[in-house]
Amino acid sequence: MEPLEPRAEEDLSIQAAGLAADGRAATFEELFEQVAGGAYRLAVTLTRNRSEAEDLLQEAALSAYRSFASFARGTNFKAWLYRILINRHYYKHRQKGSRPATVELEDTPELYLYARRDQLGAATGEDPAASLMRKMTAEQVRRAVASLPPEYGAAVSLFFLEELPYEAVAGVLGCPVGTVRSRLHRGRRMLQKLLWQMALEAGLVGGPQAREATV
Amino acid sequence: MKTRGRLTCEETFRRLDRYLDRTLSERELREVEAHLEACVACASEYRFEKHIVEGVRTKLRRIESPPGLVERILGRLGEPTPSGDGGDDGAGGPATG
Repeated sequence: MEPLEPRAEEDLSIQAAGLAADGRAATFEELFEQVAGGAYRLAVTLTRNRSEAEDLLQEAALSAYRSFASFARGTNFKAWLYRILINRHYYKHRQKGSRPATVELEDTPELYLYARRDQLGAATGEDPAASLMRKMTAEQVRRAVASLPPEYGAAVSLFFLEELPYEAVAGVLGCPVGTVRSRLHRGRRMLQKLLWQMALEAGLVGGPQAREATV
Repeated sequence: MKTRGRLTCEETFRRLDRYLDRTLSERELREVEAHLEACVACASEYRFEKHIVEGVRTKLRRIESPPGLVERILGRLGEPTPSGDGGDDGAGGPATG
């Protein structure tokens, strides 16, 4: 049995704690620069396209900048910014009034892709899941994640991008650990259906027989 | 479902997400691993799910910021924003995690 990879070390950099390398309090700009790449990746997994992602990050940065005096030095700037960004995303989503097909997605059974592993087009000896992931582009995977209902997408995005423990995800989202666990479990189940749909649209998997089996 | 070791297949399956997320207790971790060592079907499911998780993570982490992103964003912080663009961003309190 393959050993599990060790969990990534918690980010304890002094930049994340709000201090610069020389021990003084870091400026907003210095802190933002350290986490902008990760924040952008989070934004693109929540939004429909890169333009919306940059807009979301811009708005979150502005809100954070204006509230920087309330940021407690010694706490995690990245987590603080991420929470602002996710809350901004929730707000904009409510404003749009868009209602994704949550009910249909929530009916997704367990092991959705595993049940279709024979239709993933793996070469002889290749793991079907590895085959699917190899064929899908980063953009296709991003679109699948971004298609999740917001509350599930935020948990799934944080988990996949940052590899945070449940408690840390709960801290960013401001919800109980049990809620995180539930959203991750259901969100990942929904994501498998979205990945399948994305791969089907792209002609990477399935065929007429597969389409009949897709519900 | 067949029983392999102490956990049944169903019990192992219920723990699969947390096993993938490395959030099981030491005892549960050993129990799941013991089952996966003994049960070909469950081991196949585990490997499949692990490849999906790793594949999604790898693809998402390849997303790069566009050139000049930080400069553009920081450069706009002093610009006036449209009125009425509110929304609770939860910026007021300390963050945990």
